[in-house]
Amino acid sequence: MLPRRRGVEEIPQPLTHLKCLECGTVNSRPFTGGDYVFKEVEERCPKCGASKMKIIGIYVEEERKTP
Amino acid sequence: MLDFLQVSGQQDLISVISSLIWLLFLMIFFIYPSFSQRLQLSYILRDLERRLQRLKVMRDEVRGKTVEVLRKYSGDGVKVDEELDKLLLSFMIAPESMDPYGIVYKLEHIVNTWEDVFEEHVKLICTKADEAWSKTLTNLVEVARGMDYLYRVVRHYYLLGRRTANIYIVLQIQMLMPQIMEIAEAYRRACYAFTQGQPIGDGVGVLAVAKLVEGLEKKTYQVAKDTIVHEFEMDGRRVFVLRAAGPGGAVGRPADGLLKILESERDKVKAVIMIDAALKLEGEETGKVVEGIGAAIGGIGVDKFKIEEISKKMNIPLYAFAIYQSIGEAITPMKKSIAKAADEVVEKVKKLISSKVDEGFSVIVAGIGNTVGIGIS
Ligand SMILES: [Zn+2]
Repeated sequence: MLPRRRGVEEIPQPLTHLKCLECGTVNSRPFTGGDYVFKEVEERCPKCGASKMKIIGIYVEEERKTP
Repeated sequence: MLDFLQVSGQQDLISVISSLIWLLFLMIFFIYPSFSQRLQLSYILRDLERRLQRLKVMRDEVRGKTVEVLRKYSGDGVKVDEELDKLLLSFMIAPESMDPYGIVYKLEHIVNTWEDVFEEHVKLICTKADEAWSKTLTNLVEVARGMDYLYRVVRHYYLLGRRTANIYIVLQIQMLMPQIMEIAEAYRRACYAFTQGQPIGDGVGVLAVAKLVEGLEKKTYQVAKDTIVHEFEMDGRRVFVLRAAGPGGAVGRPADGLLKILESERDKVKAVIMIDAALKLEGEETGKVVEGIGAAIGGIGVDKFKIEEISKKMNIPLYAFAIYQSIGEAITPMKKSIAKAADEVVEKVKKLISSKVDEGFSVIVAGIGNTVGIGIS
């Protein structure tokens, strides 16, 4: 099949992955302005409720493409 | 007409007309040999025009976005549009290479001055931005400048080709168009990454070294402009981790940092390990980690030259880790496969240190790349 011509594509938004400093649970949410890797943020852990989390990664999940 | 009918015998009018048309076409090609080329030229020009139009839309989008963000941080009474245009058209004159002796240091001087002036100019516009943000904004303006320049170059060849009706000029630019459009799309995406301060693929080298030192007890200090060192002990070996300071967008001056460390450590340093993003070939896997030898660093070549020179002089081996990605992936928000590669590199670097550097000696690990969105661990 011929590759389809691309129009103006949507720009994928990265996810911010946070790790709880208390229990070590990792969860993710959409990136928001001001986030950076290794930043400590005051956000509630969804598991234990502690309020300190650390950003451990910011990246775009890629969809699986067939080679 | 009558004579012709008599000569050609008994034919109806339609076949006569078709013969005439044939004759006409043959005449065109004989009398006017460049006719087919003309036809091709107009076809290519139309194709170029269409793509140039798309390029213009992309340039305007990037410019608009940049103005919008700069305005948010600009002081009162600053004419952002005017100032941005000045920056977009700013240029650097490469040193004369007729006598190449000492050219690297001349180039370094000019580039450093240009970068400093550029950054100061952005800071002057965006007085409300803090130190880290003004660095990221400088990167954003650089992206806008790249996009603008791309558009102007393509427009130049299109107009020149059209004016001179020279097929060889338009052919050259048409051949390059697929790559140019790809780079333009990458610039467009990079603009969005920088406006929000998101980590980009090129930052993987920095991310890897940041993960290497994460949670360790270490001494951190600045060695050169935008460049920091983490110093710590690992299994009896002294490790100097060199990287640009984040989370603002900066690449730092790794060669200057390396020279500073070597000045004090001298022959205790037994290896230099460099980690950088590398351009993959089409068909190769993004985020693949490969090992090699040499100075893994891009840019204009000044840092590479200085690192090679000092390592040769002091006879220190250069080990390199490269993380594969495309040009687009390098300047757009980091993909998961690239982020995961950073963890893989950390393990490989630890193994390399324990196998190549004896206890009691030192090693320098340099993470090369843009630190946008990557803080200090
Ligand atoms: Zn928790």
